[in-house]
Amino acid sequence: MYQGPVIDCDVHHARRTDAELLEYLSPGWREYITDRGPAGIMPLTVQDGLANPHGFMRADTYPQTGGPAGSDYATLRRQVLDRADVRRAILTFGDDSHVAGHHNPYFANELARALNDWSVERWLSLDRRLASSIMVASQLPDLAAAEIRRHAANPRMVQVMMVDNPFNYPFGHPVFHPIYEAAEECGRPIAVHGGAGGWANPASTGGGNVNLYFEAHTLWPQVVMTHLVSFISHGVFEKFPRLRLLLIEAGSAWLPSLLWRFDTEYKGLRREVPWLRRLPSEYFSQHVWVTTQPLEISPQRGQIVELLGWIEGDRKLVFSSDYPHWDADELEHVSSRLPQAWHRRVFFDNALAFYGWQEADLPASAVAAPA
Amino acid sequence: MSVDVGALDDFAEGAVRVIEADGREIGVVRWSGRLYALSNVCVHQSGPVCRGILSARLTAAAPGCMELDATTPVIACPWHGWEYDVRTGAAIWDSTYRLRTYPVSVASGRVLVDLARPA
Repeated sequence: MYQGPVIDCDVHHARRTDAELLEYLSPGWREYITDRGPAGIMPLTVQDGLANPHGFMRADTYPQTGGPAGSDYATLRRQVLDRADVRRAILTFGDDSHVAGHHNPYFANELARALNDWSVERWLSLDRRLASSIMVASQLPDLAAAEIRRHAANPRMVQVMMVDNPFNYPFGHPVFHPIYEAAEECGRPIAVHGGAGGWANPASTGGGNVNLYFEAHTLWPQVVMTHLVSFISHGVFEKFPRLRLLLIEAGSAWLPSLLWRFDTEYKGLRREVPWLRRLPSEYFSQHVWVTTQPLEISPQRGQIVELLGWIEGDRKLVFSSDYPHWDADELEHVSSRLPQAWHRRVFFDNALAFYGWQEADLPASAVAAPA
Repeated sequence: MSVDVGALDDFAEGAVRVIEADGREIGVVRWSGRLYALSNVCVHQSGPVCRGILSARLTAAAPGCMELDATTPVIACPWHGWEYDVRTGAAIWDSTYRLRTYPVSVASGRVLVDLARPA
């Protein structure tokens, strides 16, 4: 098993209570949300989605002291940070990541601002190994861009996270470009998380809205495929040539066939997108990285490795656990499925390169050297 | 081996005409007063590429723009839309994919295509 340094690119942290977040809202919004008499406070998270028959969180991740999975630092530290030589874990929020699914765009923008402040003060202050995503309310792209710039000076606010789709236009659409302009300017990648547009907003799949969580989870990559194709087709990487994109929680085995098809389509339909100067797969190669979870399980171990070789998996994959979700991948599992020659790169070096870090930028190993 | 493929006046400006010479189908294009000849066999699936649409190349200075480069004639295969630069035969998206091209000349008002050597 791999025992070197690790960067975990997808760790979901959560609030223990609503009250934790309320104190980060402006007085006006706090009043608007809380003062409803016997009706109680307004819901802070999007009330939608298909129910998982297991529950969404791994049962052993619920803190013994109570509260939701991912809400307790001591538990997260024991189960994620100290389990291996984790030098950095990138926090990606939990139910709150669906902020772009809120119907009220002004409320969503205020929530995003508050969530980011909460993440900085309540989490990043606890452990230098933690870094956070910048949550944005993409309903209001100009304000989302301002939120990105507000965190530009904090090197531990490391990426801009997009999950839900407020407009039903895939994420390459120009309406989102102010977000990418700010991200490029601030040197932050965009992280598109699986479920984007398929959770709170229609359509959950290309063929229609599915009815079972089993269907939804099987088709999870569809939404990310759509966004990836949209990013490249709309020329986002021509317009923002220093922008990088991370695809989170959508697996990776589908990428070779999609890119083969994408390149073929370009050869016949270039007339429609003359702003593209290279094959789609070349934009992918230069601008896009992919998290490992959920690593597809091929009948034979070599099959997935051969497939991922087509997308330079040893260079493009970055490790993610997806802790504390029910379908999280253990480091040992990923380690056992990928070739040893890939380990150091997938678990550490590729993320360093993607985020533009040096090893010295990260906390030193907390793991005692073997005697 | 030069083959007489017709009178110059038979080749209209801005158009492609497919002729047969020595058992081969060849597209002859007249563009900005110059003549070009290229194979009528697409390198993709051997489609009749020169039966497709001839136009100036569409370009874009930035995403969302649509501009015309009148100096670059492009032929698009009618089977799957693969585009080639008529002047060189090179595919627009990868110049390592090429249609065969032939030298063209005009003598005494007649168009001559040299089948013996590439352009």
